[in-house]
Amino acid sequence: MQITYVQPDGSARTVKASLGVSLMEVAVNNAIPGIVGECNGSAACATCHVVLPQAVFDRLAPPEDHEIDMLDFADSPRQPCSRLGCQVRLSDEMDGMTVTIPA
Amino acid sequence: MASPVPVIDDVSFDDLMNDPYPIYARARKMGSVVRVAAANIALVTRFDDIVEIERDPETYSSVNPASLVNKVMGHTLMRKDGADHAAERKAMEPALRPGTATRCWAPKFEAICDELIEAMRPSGEADLFDAFAAPMAARGLDALLGFGGVDWRRLAHWSQSLMDGAGNYSGDPAIAREAAQSAREIEETIARMLPQHRAAPNDSVLSAMVQAGQPIEQIHANIKVAVGGGLNEPRDAILTLVLGLLENLDQLAAVKADPALWGPAFEEAVRWISPIGMYPRRVARPVTLGGADLEQDQQIGLCVAAANHDPARFADPSRFDILRPKQSHLAFGAGAHFCAGTWVARVMVSKLAVPRLFERLPNLRIADPAGVRIRGWVFRGPTALPVAWDR
Repeated sequence: MQITYVQPDGSARTVKASLGVSLMEVAVNNAIPGIVGECNGSAACATCHVVLPQAVFDRLAPPEDHEIDMLDFADSPRQPCSRLGCQVRLSDEMDGMTVTIPA
Repeated sequence: MASPVPVIDDVSFDDLMNDPYPIYARARKMGSVVRVAAANIALVTRFDDIVEIERDPETYSSVNPASLVNKVMGHTLMRKDGADHAAERKAMEPALRPGTATRCWAPKFEAICDELIEAMRPSGEADLFDAFAAPMAARGLDALLGFGGVDWRRLAHWSQSLMDGAGNYSGDPAIAREAAQSAREIEETIARMLPQHRAAPNDSVLSAMVQAGQPIEQIHANIKVAVGGGLNEPRDAILTLVLGLLENLDQLAAVKADPALWGPAFEEAVRWISPIGMYPRRVARPVTLGGADLEQDQQIGLCVAAANHDPARFADPSRFDILRPKQSHLAFGAGAHFCAGTWVARVMVSKLAVPRLFERLPNLRIADPAGVRIRGWVFRGPTALPVAWDR
């Protein structure tokens, strides 16, 4: 499957990804700028902030309080479809989706 | 072709304690893993190697049956991996979230901070270690844990003796006894406070653990970790940030002109002199790291202080520069054990303690440059910072 990451300047990169891996891991493995993943998926560092397409966001279970708290203190302001990339695991219907890295 | 681990055997333990950075620079050039004889451990000093290690907990495990930390504190989350670690960490997390830090702890830290500043202000001079940073960190930790107002010197003593016990590789019985005594006193404090926390849930770490239904053994062990590891880090970060700014007055002027720079200034301080310089991992299966063969069950030290001075990552790394390009560092570790107190420390140090010092003490300056002392390698920070200000 494939995921496209769009940078704040509008530039985009499409990378290969595997089912079950997190959006943070895919980004880190492909050296996508703006996704650091310091805590390696523990939802503790707020360095993997991504904005999902509305339809994908709506299909997922809503973020827990802890994740929302972290997003509130990420470098970029939280948006309606913001998630920590480490908390979003890829499923079939996400193939081909485009996520945005906020400014 | 893998090769054996090179050794540095011509530096003393005192050399390491005085200034480990030249030794780290040597080690970094020699290889990915270098044994430092005086430290009795093989050290990893390159930034990218530590990031790689911390992404692979199955090979580089925190689980260590021989751990002195476990002997002193019990089976703490610091020496666990995977689901066990995650569950215990989650139990403490509500108290440590950035939102909790801002909403609940900031006002409490602010009151402590102002009281300490007012107490020392009339004298016009002080050693910031004893007069400010140590009591600030200790009293803040007391509030955060929900200890109900333990004397800050007592708490500082517990913290130091637990850390001494965890580093007691020579098996000194006096150090072991002192650590055990502090551990008992912490358990007594927990026993005294638990009824209040059960009766009235609140934002403290103890309350969070009670609300999460943690068994008492887990509460004991993980509160001891928080006491051992939650005091000297904010204390040393406060002192290091003050020192960096007082030695670089152009940067002090910049942060005074633009308070948004306090955040980057804090990150730069803990990169420059990382309060926790090294922590261990156990090699869980034979592996080759950067050409070095590592045996199963070998202990390696992840030297984050060295990684934070890796010139491959940071230009002119020994220079304190709050305006350097934003680049993540390893002062809070990496991976699943990423410091749980990071956000609380950011609030305490960069939003309150240090900005208020400069706000309230006019013309704050180093009183005696020769009196400034910085010491340590596993834990490092200023141990004396004599300053003066206009009364």
